[in-house]
Amino acid sequence: MSYRDDNRVALENDHPRIEMVEKVTGKARFTTDHYLPEMLWAAYIRCDYGDARITRRHVDRARDVEGVLEVEIDRERGRYHGDRLGHICAESRKALEEAMAALDLRFDVERPKTRIERERTPLDQLDAPDNIEDAEAALEDSDVTVEAEYQTQVQTHCCMEPHGALVDYKGDSARAWGSTQSTFGFRDGLARELDLPSSDVDFNCEHVGGGFGSKFGPGAEGTLAARMSKKFEKPCRVVRNRKEEQLDTGNRPGSLQYMRLGISRQGRIRGGRIATWGSVGPGGGGGGVRNPSRYDFGTIARSHEDVNLNGGPPRAMRAPGHPQALFAIELMMDRMAGEIGMDPLEFRRVNETSDVRKEMFDAGAAMIGWDKRRDGGVDLDNGALRRGYGVGVGDWGNSRGRASVTVNVYRDGTVEALNGAQDIGTGFRTMLGDVVATHIGIGRDQLKVRIGRSEYPFGPASGGSVTSRFVAPRAFMAADKAKKAILDLVAIEWELDDTEGLSIEDGVIRGPDDRQMEWGRACRLLSEERVSFSADDEGEFWKQPTGSDAVQFVEADVDIETGIVYVRRIVALQDVGLPVNRHTVENQITGAVIQGLSFCLFEDRILNRQTGAMVNPNMDMYKIAGPRDVPEITPVIWRSRDDPGVNSLGEPPIVPTCGAIACAVANAIGTQVQSMPLTPRQVLAVIAGKERA
Amino acid sequence: MKSFEYLVAENLEAAIESYGDNNVMLKAGGIDLLDLMKERIETPDSVLSIDQLDDLRYIREEDDGVHIGALTTLAKLGESDLLKQHYAVLHESAANTATPQVRQRATLAGNLCQRPRCWYYRNREFDCLKNHGDRCYVRDGENEHHAIFGGAPCHILHPSNVAPALVALDAVLIVESHGAEPKRIRAAEFFVLPRQAMFTENVLEAGQVITGIILPEKPRASATIELREKQSFDWPICSASVARLEDKWRICLGAVAPIPWLSEPAMAVMEDRDVTEALAKEAGEAAAGEAEPLSDNGYKVDLVKVVTRRALLAAAGKGDH
Repeated sequence: MSYRDDNRVALENDHPRIEMVEKVTGKARFTTDHYLPEMLWAAYIRCDYGDARITRRHVDRARDVEGVLEVEIDRERGRYHGDRLGHICAESRKALEEAMAALDLRFDVERPKTRIERERTPLDQLDAPDNIEDAEAALEDSDVTVEAEYQTQVQTHCCMEPHGALVDYKGDSARAWGSTQSTFGFRDGLARELDLPSSDVDFNCEHVGGGFGSKFGPGAEGTLAARMSKKFEKPCRVVRNRKEEQLDTGNRPGSLQYMRLGISRQGRIRGGRIATWGSVGPGGGGGGVRNPSRYDFGTIARSHEDVNLNGGPPRAMRAPGHPQALFAIELMMDRMAGEIGMDPLEFRRVNETSDVRKEMFDAGAAMIGWDKRRDGGVDLDNGALRRGYGVGVGDWGNSRGRASVTVNVYRDGTVEALNGAQDIGTGFRTMLGDVVATHIGIGRDQLKVRIGRSEYPFGPASGGSVTSRFVAPRAFMAADKAKKAILDLVAIEWELDDTEGLSIEDGVIRGPDDRQMEWGRACRLLSEERVSFSADDEGEFWKQPTGSDAVQFVEADVDIETGIVYVRRIVALQDVGLPVNRHTVENQITGAVIQGLSFCLFEDRILNRQTGAMVNPNMDMYKIAGPRDVPEITPVIWRSRDDPGVNSLGEPPIVPTCGAIACAVANAIGTQVQSMPLTPRQVLAVIAGKERA
Repeated sequence: MKSFEYLVAENLEAAIESYGDNNVMLKAGGIDLLDLMKERIETPDSVLSIDQLDDLRYIREEDDGVHIGALTTLAKLGESDLLKQHYAVLHESAANTATPQVRQRATLAGNLCQRPRCWYYRNREFDCLKNHGDRCYVRDGENEHHAIFGGAPCHILHPSNVAPALVALDAVLIVESHGAEPKRIRAAEFFVLPRQAMFTENVLEAGQVITGIILPEKPRASATIELREKQSFDWPICSASVARLEDKWRICLGAVAPIPWLSEPAMAVMEDRDVTEALAKEAGEAAAGEAEPLSDNGYKVDLVKVVTRRALLAAAGKGDH
């Protein structure tokens, strides 16, 4: 029910990331940093266009390149730029690249499907939802009907570390490294590919440079590396280059969202019709849009269609389906509020389903200065800049799941915390270490955290924002067992009846009569060199998380002569349940906000309409927010209940951002930009349209 | 990337001699060349590095103007008090290019000789005119980042940030080659349109190297205004560099044409007159008047009006932008 200005956290833990020094000095080794003797290099042969058939190839020339072991083309036709048609395996990177060039493929290009708005089934030709009559009745029961359509673009995955794997098959076992969000999923997938028991695959992903939903399982890279390693009985590395990353690692699908909603004069949404379309690959689905959501929309007749395009297919991406939905929803909320002359924040209060978010509305409005908001924007002194304010909401579910943690205590006082799950940049390693160290009462200098290996206890895949939520209770439990065991020994040493009255703080055990014993000395009471304490149940340490509610407020300036949007401030209120480490919690919130801003203003997969080839498959032309684009971000660690469990945090803070920015821009210029990204071209076109009207 | 021989020049003379050989490409900072080689747009047999020729890094005043070495980094231009005080038009464009990391590597001459950032030219999937193919994809394709002036038959934008500033300053480039006397070429005559030469963007011939730049005249007033979609690491979507030499205004637009676009209509409005709000606006309108936008880049016409006006006002000390 409150927030603290200083963001101090429940475990009073304000340490930097555990692996900070390793990462900034380059000591941390990622999958791409591993090279083995006699290692092979393999890569996929890819389609250059949206829908194309191979008409010329020089397979023999490619095979003739010195050091090339295998050139195979499995498919004649590709259905999107980057589609995998075959592969090459070689003894060196040089041989691989020269063979790829020698192949010199030519294609016959069919007219591709590149635009969702052209390929979708029009609204009036869609089958009516079953409850359309109820929705129509709700519209008739309304005082005002509001109608609009919104569009969002495709956002490609852009992990800092490319997708890749290195597999070393040894006949009856294998060692492997992979960039993944799922240590155990990757291991099990490799085991299947290699026809080995999972227990004979030693998989490693000690450091991972981002995943965002695109790195579950061995994927195309792990599969090819495993096949080639097994076939040629040598280690094989498959790591994508940046262009392959942009073309074929999946994306947040584009969307069209039509909304016709009825409201009462008092601002209550009665219901209506919502139709969404999602852009997907040439086959398959995955284009879902979470519209409606969060607010109470009354009786909605809803439909969704996945629209097949000749572009790379979607893949789960940080809060799949949510940010794009909230772009449309928040703009629609503002539009409805405007129709009845109600303050947009007040309109949201009326239709909000979460009491926590209602409280966040009040706190956030005060922090951003919502009272400065004016319809049509605020003129700043120099005449071209207009300032606007916007608000957006989000949340996330928090279920239970499987994990296991082991805490080892050594006689020299060292404590190890072990879990096999991966840290994809979220700070999971730090969370695990801080829970164990804080619960026992020792310093970080006495702790080693070991994660990201399949030989460690099971940890979940980092999808759905579950990693810390599943692992933390087990970390408490295992740490508790270790602590009690050492205190039992101390009680015997001090000839006490029990451990009542014993405590550990800063690595010192204190007892009755001012007795003290250093943690290290207490550990020497162990009769064995190492004692292990494991927990796969949560016991008393399962505490129900809160709802991961989120509200964000945005202050943005728009240059109405150039259409350039300058986001100035974002206040991000986030219910994180039990916050373990302030830095990593704030990092997750600010990182999500930056990614949401980048999606809203810049990122866009652009397919050439003539050939279906992506014209911007690099990080120069595919634009991502840089330091000067990042506004002042104020992460607010919100506490809605005493003594909660660890909440989901990876995904919820990205949900509100683009909706809130879009609303701020609309407020600034007095009209809505209904299509993302909000580039100068789009903004100027909307301003010109308003002036013409 | 195709394998290549990496040559390191010991001195300028040796560099110029080696550069005359076939299929050798010159590397200064290497920022642009690496991208082109990775995509196999360029596949040189040899790369000749001149990056270590520190004799070509200088900014100094001489009798005939300010001399700047070809390998002076953009970071050094951005740090120069001399440029900041007297050549704001150049200083502002250099200081805002790309990122601090890029500016530490990127050189003045390298920036001038960059190849276009056109997304058809830069991706080997497109057999466009500039890639020795038979068509330009721009007119019927995605063209929001393409030329509104001087385009046909190839609608690239010239990518250099500092080129419009040098054209506005009427700078002179010193060009050397093996066995020939150094030549002096005005910046305004250095760049060529695709209709004049499809496979290059300037008049440099095989074996010729820019070794220095001279700013012959201190402008009475000058400014550059650049507009970007992103404020970090992005090329401008439109820019204007203006300089008042003696009394006359020179106005050069960037990111709107295959060359730095010296706007004769805008200069005709300004001539030798002092800047007023009305005159600056009129110059902007005149600059935009000769534009020929494509299907998706009409917004650049609006931007030309804005940057021209703002640059003139900024040079006159009257603008906030």
